[in-house]
Amino acid sequence: MTQTDPRTAPANGRSGQQSSAPTFSIGARRIAQVNGSKLVRVGARLSLGQYIKELWQFRHFLFYDSRSRVSSQNNLDSMGRVWMLVNPALQALVYLTIFGIILETSRGVVNFIGYIIIGVFTFRFITGAVTGGADSIARNQRVVQSFNFPRAALPISATIRELFASVPVFFMMAVLVYFLGDYEIGGLEEGVQPIHLTWHWLLFFPAIFLALLVMTGLGLMLARMVNAHNDIKHLVQIGTRIWFYASAVIFGVDRFSNLGHDWIITVMHLNPAFCVLDIIRSAWLYAEFPDPYRWVVLSAWAVGAMVIGFIVFWLGEESYGKER
Amino acid sequence: MSAPVNGYTPRRANWLASPAAKTTEGYDVDPETLDDGFGEIEEIAWDDAPLTQSAPTIEKIDPKKVSVVVDGAAMTYRVRSSNEYLKSKKRVAREVKRVLGSGWLEIPALEEVSFVVNRGETVGVIGTNGSGKSTLMKLLTGKIRPTAGEVYATSTPVMLGVNAALVKEISGRENIKLGCLAMGLSPKEAEQKFDMIVELSGLEDALDMPLKAYSAGMQSRLQFAIATAVDPDILLIDEALNTGDAQFRARTKKRLDQVRSQAGCVFLVSHSLGTIKQMCTRVIWIEQGRLLADGDPEWVCSQYQEYTDHKSNGRVRSAQIVYDRTMLKLAPVQIEFTEGTRPTRAGGARAN
Repeated sequence: MTQTDPRTAPANGRSGQQSSAPTFSIGARRIAQVNGSKLVRVGARLSLGQYIKELWQFRHFLFYDSRSRVSSQNNLDSMGRVWMLVNPALQALVYLTIFGIILETSRGVVNFIGYIIIGVFTFRFITGAVTGGADSIARNQRVVQSFNFPRAALPISATIRELFASVPVFFMMAVLVYFLGDYEIGGLEEGVQPIHLTWHWLLFFPAIFLALLVMTGLGLMLARMVNAHNDIKHLVQIGTRIWFYASAVIFGVDRFSNLGHDWIITVMHLNPAFCVLDIIRSAWLYAEFPDPYRWVVLSAWAVGAMVIGFIVFWLGEESYGKER
Repeated sequence: MSAPVNGYTPRRANWLASPAAKTTEGYDVDPETLDDGFGEIEEIAWDDAPLTQSAPTIEKIDPKKVSVVVDGAAMTYRVRSSNEYLKSKKRVAREVKRVLGSGWLEIPALEEVSFVVNRGETVGVIGTNGSGKSTLMKLLTGKIRPTAGEVYATSTPVMLGVNAALVKEISGRENIKLGCLAMGLSPKEAEQKFDMIVELSGLEDALDMPLKAYSAGMQSRLQFAIATAVDPDILLIDEALNTGDAQFRARTKKRLDQVRSQAGCVFLVSHSLGTIKQMCTRVIWIEQGRLLADGDPEWVCSQYQEYTDHKSNGRVRSAQIVYDRTMLKLAPVQIEFTEGTRPTRAGGARAN
């Protein structure tokens, strides 16, 4: 055993490890003076302007990622993409049966079938976009660790993916509302009024666009929170459930004013999801221009959520690659 | 042989490696407590002791040539663990953690490491498994932020390896496009690179199959081919040379040489000492989370060889001696930025 290596006699020298000198020399401490003016800190967060610019350069990635994942979403099911249509249709049927017929929540609602179809289909899109955005970072850890791109691309792509996935759903929704929305089934107190295809139907597009901005903003905000504390994921689930009931998806708002709970109505009117639903319903079911107040609230939410969400997400940019 | 081997680390080596751990301002013993009767004699701090350590050599690094500066970067991972309650000292805390089934586990992966790499250098990174090589690479690419210290570079280094993320559900063709876009190429550039990637991966016949249908070898070939699509200035290669069959390896080597010749500075992580000696102008040896050697490839590789030989034959103590001896020879670098030039700016994520 070479416990006494003859070379371990320390000799003074500065050769470092540059050469294997015959005599043993201890490495001298070195100080490297660097002019760092040309260097950048690796992994540092970009300034907000640069960040947005860079995100714009990655827009192709964003769209391609959304599209390829939507097209492969249901490829484990033997019925494939048909589920994208069948699933919300079945859900609408379930809610219609339970809430419309058994619990009779249809009180005070004209064209209740159309009302509930719009509610369920649109709200599914909203929750899908928010929850998808919320776990986008946590779920795509491998992508985050192997590529360098502005991380905001992931939550945004999750929201856009939900939009792509919802295109056939919305188409189906329009068809169902047009043909079945004014169908009268037993137990509808307020009755029905015929649905006509008018220019008001086009108001759907700006409403969904604003909704998309709200969802993206919330998704960005939640994505950072879920990344920091995975536990928040559970709260997001509960939150969307509460949101569902606070958005008048399956019942009319008027039932609350009859009960004297006016504050609930105020809360609902400030709720972006309710605004989206109300706008689409006024336009499609009753062929009238939606209350301008809804547009104001929705636009305020869209701008506010987007700005705050984006900044919140951007501030956490350096924390998204960490191991968990 | 009966000596407790694991705890053996000479003090001087420790002191050399971590200047921060010094006690009482550079004196190994608090001078106030010493009274040897000699009266007023100037105490000599370790730093100035002529026998062991000369004053630090000051090297000026040419600002035109510098490429990567790692300034005291250290990394401690914090991961969730459900067994962590076993270590909790307090009984109540232990019980609470046991019931929750959740706790934090801290893994010190890399101690403070500093070095400067200039343009034109090809740096080999060696070390046994679990020594912290991959952590260093992750710090270099900025995927994770070091818990202490920072990494600076002229542009964001790009990792080229077999760990690029692929999406299992979509076809190889779509994966190639997605990967290119994720690296910041424009759709046009991705289109241009497409043929090259397909040719390199040799998967012409399997392009439209979903990735689930690929064999492990095919997947890693595709990953590698996608990763090499960019021509980064600072390039990190992680074990990439060891994938695939002989035919693929030949193609790989050709492409790597091409990328390497275009890159300003290359880091090569490999377990193959032959490759390292052949390609590198300098080698960094990381062991047990410490920078152990940094210098001439022949010399560092010979030390590493000796170390691993001892280790694999169970001669723990001999291995430790090689370890200490190598560490003593290390000339540790301390980074100083000229007044006010410490970078704070962020670099873009785009590869080019």
